[in-house]
Amino acid sequence: MRVAIAEDSVLLREGLARLLADAGFEVVARCGDASALLGAVASLAPEVAVVDIRMPPTHTDEGLRAAVKIRADHPGTAVLLLSQHVEPALAMTLFAGSAAGAGYLLKDRISDVAEFLSAVRRVAAGGTAVDPVIVSSLVARRRPDDPLAVLTPREREVLELMASGHSNQGIADKLYLTLRAVEKYVSSVFGKLGLPATGGESRRVLAVLLFLRPESDRNRG
Amino acid sequence: MWILLAYVFCGLLAWSRRPESGFGRLMVVVGFGAALSNLARSSDPLLFTVGQAVDLLVVALFLHVFLAFPSGRLGKPAGVLVGMAYAVSIGLQLTVMLLGAFGEGNLLAVTDAPGLVDVLHGIELITLSGLLLAGVGLLGVRLRRERRAVRWLVGSFALGLVALAVLLAMGAFAVTGFALVQRLTLGVLGLAPVAFLVGLLDARLAQASVGDLVVELRAEPDDLTPALARAMRDPTAALFYWLPQYRNWVDHDGSPATLPPSVTMILRDGEPVAALAHHPAVEPGLLQAVVAAVEMVIDNGRLRAELRARLAEVRASRARVLEAGRTERRRLERDLHDGAQQRLVGLSLRLGLLEAHLDGDPAVRQALSEARAEVVTSLSELRDLAHGLYPAVLSGHGLAVALESVAALAAVPVRLSITVDGRLPEPVEVAAYYVVCESLTNVGRHAAASGASVEVGPAGKVLVVEIADDGVGGADTTRGSGLRGLADRVEALGGTLRVWSPDGGGTRVRAEVPCG
Repeated sequence: MRVAIAEDSVLLREGLARLLADAGFEVVARCGDASALLGAVASLAPEVAVVDIRMPPTHTDEGLRAAVKIRADHPGTAVLLLSQHVEPALAMTLFAGSAAGAGYLLKDRISDVAEFLSAVRRVAAGGTAVDPVIVSSLVARRRPDDPLAVLTPREREVLELMASGHSNQGIADKLYLTLRAVEKYVSSVFGKLGLPATGGESRRVLAVLLFLRPESDRNRG
Repeated sequence: MWILLAYVFCGLLAWSRRPESGFGRLMVVVGFGAALSNLARSSDPLLFTVGQAVDLLVVALFLHVFLAFPSGRLGKPAGVLVGMAYAVSIGLQLTVMLLGAFGEGNLLAVTDAPGLVDVLHGIELITLSGLLLAGVGLLGVRLRRERRAVRWLVGSFALGLVALAVLLAMGAFAVTGFALVQRLTLGVLGLAPVAFLVGLLDARLAQASVGDLVVELRAEPDDLTPALARAMRDPTAALFYWLPQYRNWVDHDGSPATLPPSVTMILRDGEPVAALAHHPAVEPGLLQAVVAAVEMVIDNGRLRAELRARLAEVRASRARVLEAGRTERRRLERDLHDGAQQRLVGLSLRLGLLEAHLDGDPAVRQALSEARAEVVTSLSELRDLAHGLYPAVLSGHGLAVALESVAALAAVPVRLSITVDGRLPEPVEVAAYYVVCESLTNVGRHAAASGASVEVGPAGKVLVVEIADDGVGGADTTRGSGLRGLADRVEALGGTLRVWSPDGGGTRVRAEVPCG
């Protein structure tokens, strides 16, 4: 699997490269800023790019803008954004339209090597990865007449894992359940929340995230 | 001929007594202009032609002199009117003469078109007559504003202009009785210069206007300028104060000002205290009287101006302090992000790699895993600290993105409505962000509310930020540094922060921040 890395800190960039190389990825580009990344993606067409959100020159959202551009111009390259901020709105900006082949993780996540690599593989394979901290901040949000109150604790766990981008099999592995049991929980959650059953897992992620987000964003033009 | 003498004599007298006013000169010109039109009675063709050419110019001159009394200057509408009168009386007159008007002696005639001449000459007379009546209208407006001492003067000018207008109209329609009206008109117009002279030299006029000024000043108006402009009949009149501690001239608002070229200094103990700006041609007697009147109230005015200057200074310094704080916090956040946070992420990555490659002693593996968990916890704490220092996501992504997570993390359900297109100036975004954060924190702590709403949107040139809850109300707005700090932030940007919190009626915080 071919991967491009964009991260302005040399220390982290080399650490990430080593981690990914050890796991059998072919690191084809190591970039220090967004324009180098865009060039590398255009010429080398990697399967996935791991991108820091804050890069030179302004250290604000260069990575996010590059990620959105890559998703629009190079659908063959999946993008995993790394951020220091717990900001659901940034993840939703990345997922605008579709969450397939896209991920948003906090930087801390890379220390859990197995979890991080599985997220990179999932995104590269056209799936989705959303940081658990972001999902739980959305689930914990206070709502009037909280619709999540009707869920059982187990259904809540399943909801959070769905929103993080896990497949039914992934959820089953994490919760030590059978695949059939997970399927039952999933359809129960969708039924209770009144969400339409959707096809792919990435569509499911987007539907759940949109449901969890504050009202205004669904109304906003 | 006696009109010539009256105007020239009175004009010269006025010129010598009031050289700074252009009015005397204007009267002399009118006198000679009126005399020139007498040349039309000459039998010499050249003199006859010149006389006819300026025959109606004298009408425009009369209009000019009546409207320009007493300063010799014309206001805006009067200036336009007089300009048009000159254009018509010269332009159309020369045109009809080119077309062969006024018979044999006209040297300018190039063709003979009596029909066209009659029509054009009629138009010329009627237009001038209309302009004169418009001038009467302007005098009427002035009449209402003038003091009693001047009213009879202005009234008599109006009468003269009406008579002249009637005369022209009669000329156009060739009505009988022309000679009688002509004599009457000449009488009124001929007497006018004497009235001018009396009015111009009469100290009572100046006294009357200064008397009004004194009455107005006793009421201690905040801004003396309008009263001065009225008293001196000079819209450019203004008063400036000298603030020695700032070594600067300021206007009544306390804003620094540059003195215009024509000013009269008001001194005290040889030091300037104020400066009266005025038109260079103001009558010296009036000026002296106005200065004397202003001196009575100058101290209060100066104190007010000084207070305002100080207030502006304090406001600016508060804005600078807040701005410096913001810049410093932003720098700290950036240092944390690029320094400690980055290093800790790197460290946790190395620990993770070690852990992945280690297949030895389970106890070592356990210790390594715990160490990594410690680092991840520190990172999470550091993230909260950095976010508290400065909401970096705000500068990177704007209010809507930043407020979404604020609303998501609030202690009560929050309905968020943001109608902001694009980005706002950073200080405005930061102020709005903190207003929302602090208010929602207060809702969680004190309001016992079941929900809150946050509305952020533009209203004209201000950004309105409003946070309302359905809680117990009765918030003490005087205690607690939170609200005070918010008010500081908002006011430093020239905005306002208001809080409504009736007992049992919920709490509403509304900030209005100018955003260019």
